[in-house]
Amino acid sequence: MSGGRIRDRAFTVLGYLGGFALLFLVWHVAATWLARSALFPPPGPVLERAVVLVEDGLLQEAVLASLRRIGQGFLIGSAVGIPVGLAIGSFGPVRAVLEPWTEFFRFIPAVAMITVSVIWFGIGEESKVFLIAYTTVFVVIIATAAGVGAVARDKIRAAQCLGASRLQVFALVVLPATLPLMLTGMRLAMANAFVTIVAAELVASNDGLGKMLWDARLFMQVEDIFVALVTLGLLGFSVDRAFRLAIQAFAGRYNPTM
Amino acid sequence: MSLVVLDKVGKTFRGRTGAWEAVRGFSLDLAEGEFVCLLGTSGCGKTTVLNMVAGFEAPSAGRILLDGAPVRGPGAERGVVFQGHDSLYDWLSALDNIAFGLRLRGLGRRQRRERAAHFLGMVGLGGQGAKHPAELSGGMKQRIQIARALAADPRILLMDEPFGALDAMTRAALQAELTRIWADTQKTVLFITHDIEEAVALSTRVAVMTRGPGGTLKAVVPVDLPFPRDRTSDGFMAAFRQVHALIHAEILA
Ligand SMILES: Nc1ncnc2c1ncn2[C@@H]1O[C@H](COP(=O)(O)OP(=O)(O)OP(=O)(O)O)[C@@H](O)[C@H]1O
Ligand SMILES: [Mg+2]
Repeated sequence: MSGGRIRDRAFTVLGYLGGFALLFLVWHVAATWLARSALFPPPGPVLERAVVLVEDGLLQEAVLASLRRIGQGFLIGSAVGIPVGLAIGSFGPVRAVLEPWTEFFRFIPAVAMITVSVIWFGIGEESKVFLIAYTTVFVVIIATAAGVGAVARDKIRAAQCLGASRLQVFALVVLPATLPLMLTGMRLAMANAFVTIVAAELVASNDGLGKMLWDARLFMQVEDIFVALVTLGLLGFSVDRAFRLAIQAFAGRYNPTM
Repeated sequence: MSLVVLDKVGKTFRGRTGAWEAVRGFSLDLAEGEFVCLLGTSGCGKTTVLNMVAGFEAPSAGRILLDGAPVRGPGAERGVVFQGHDSLYDWLSALDNIAFGLRLRGLGRRQRRERAAHFLGMVGLGGQGAKHPAELSGGMKQRIQIARALAADPRILLMDEPFGALDAMTRAALQAELTRIWADTQKTVLFITHDIEEAVALSTRVAVMTRGPGGTLKAVVPVDLPFPRDRTSDGFMAAFRQVHALIHAEILA
C-alpha cells in the first residue's frame, strides 16, 4: 500500500470519527436545550445505560441474537438467490418463467410477510430466519441476473474464438464478470436484512434488538430505546463497511468503480 | 481450394429500427497464407463481414465455407482481435489475459505464463504483465488483445482495426512485427482498416468495399510488392493511388 493510500484511509477514518462526533453533538444540543424532555434523553445518560446493559450482558445477548438471525437468513437467501439469478440471466426460458415470480414477490415486503411467517413457523428462530432469507433472496436474484445480462458480448465471443466450451465460458467469463454486481446486490440485501430483523423481532421474539425496543416501550425505559437504536445504526454501519471492504478486496482490484 | 470462401454473403439486421441491410452479395475467397485487408468507409459493413467469418453471426443470405465446410460458429482456428476493448477480462492481469486461450487448452500454469510473457514482449509490453486492463492505456489494451490472439496460435487471424488506437510510431513497429509473424507462421489474415497506407503496406490483396447500406465488394487490388515494403517506392505509390481512387469515389458517391 502506498503512502497516498494510507493517507486516504486515515483521512476517511478521521472523517467518520468527525461525522459521528458531530452527530452526537447535535443530539446533545437538541436534547439538552431544544427539546428538554424525559422522552428524549441526551447521549450521556444513554451511554451510561449502555454500559450497565453491557455489564449485565443484556446488550451483547440482544446483538448476538439479532446478528445470528441475520447471518443465517442472509446466507440462505444468498445461497438460493445466486444460482437462481445466474440461471435467470443465462437462460431465456428460465427468465420467462421465473421473472414473474421475482417481480411479484419483490413488491411484497418482508414486513408484510411477518404474520404469515409466524403462522407457518411459530415465534421460534425459523420465522425470523425465513423473513431475512425472504428479504435477501429477491434482491440477490435481480442483481445477479442483471450482472449476467451486463457481461459484454465481446468478452464471451473472445472466449469462444479461443476455443472455450459453454461450461468454460460460464465458469471463466460469465461468473467472474458477474461477481461485482452480485456482491453489490448482497450488500443491498444486507441493509434490507437490518430493517427486517427489527420488525420481525418487534412482533415475535424472545430476544434480539427488536425485542429490546419493544420491552423498553412497554416499561417506558426511554434510555433503553435509544441504546437499541444507536446499536442498530452502528451495527449496520460496521457490517456495511465490512462488506464494502470485502467487495473492494475481491473486485476493486480490477474494477476501480467498486 | 480456398481456405475461406464467402459466396454472395448478405446480412440484414432486424431490430427496433426495422430491417437494416448491412451487407449484400459479398463474395471473396481467401487462399491459405494470404494477407487480405478489408478497406471501406465507416459503417460500410466491415465488422459485420468479419463477425460472420468468425462465426459470431450467421449470414442471412449466401454461405461462408471454411475448408469447404459451412461455418457453424466460432472456433479456435479463427482468432479474433476485436474493435474496442470490451473483450479483455478486467479481473485478469495482462499476462493472464494473454494466457487465457492456453488455459482453456489445459496448458500448465508455468508453460502458459512463459508463452504469454513471450507475446507480451513481442507487443512491446515486456515487464508490464501484472497490470490489469483498468491500468492500461487504450493502445496497450489493443496490444494485449493482439498478443492474446497470437498466443492461441490460430490458423486464421481476423483483426478489426487492431492498430486504430495507436500512435504512428507504435503503429509502424507493430505493423512490421505483424508482417514478420505472418511471414514466419504462414497464417491467413483478414485485416480491417480505414488506413489506405496501412492496407498497402501489409497486404497481398486489398479488398475495397462500397459504402453502406448494403455494403459489398467494390474491387480487389493485388499488391505484388516484396516485404518489407518501401513506402516511398513507385510500386507502393501506384498501389496507394489505385486504392485511394476507389475509396475516394465512395466518399464522394
Ligand atoms: N447488431 C446490429 N444490429 C443492427 N444494425 C447493425 C448491427 N451491427 C451493425 N449494424 C449496422 O450495420 C452497418 C455496418 O456496421 P459495421 O459495424 O459492420 O460497420 P464497419 O464497416 O465495421 O464500420 P466502422 O469502420 O465504423 O467500424 C451499420 O449501419 C450498422 O448500424
Ligand atoms: Mg467496425
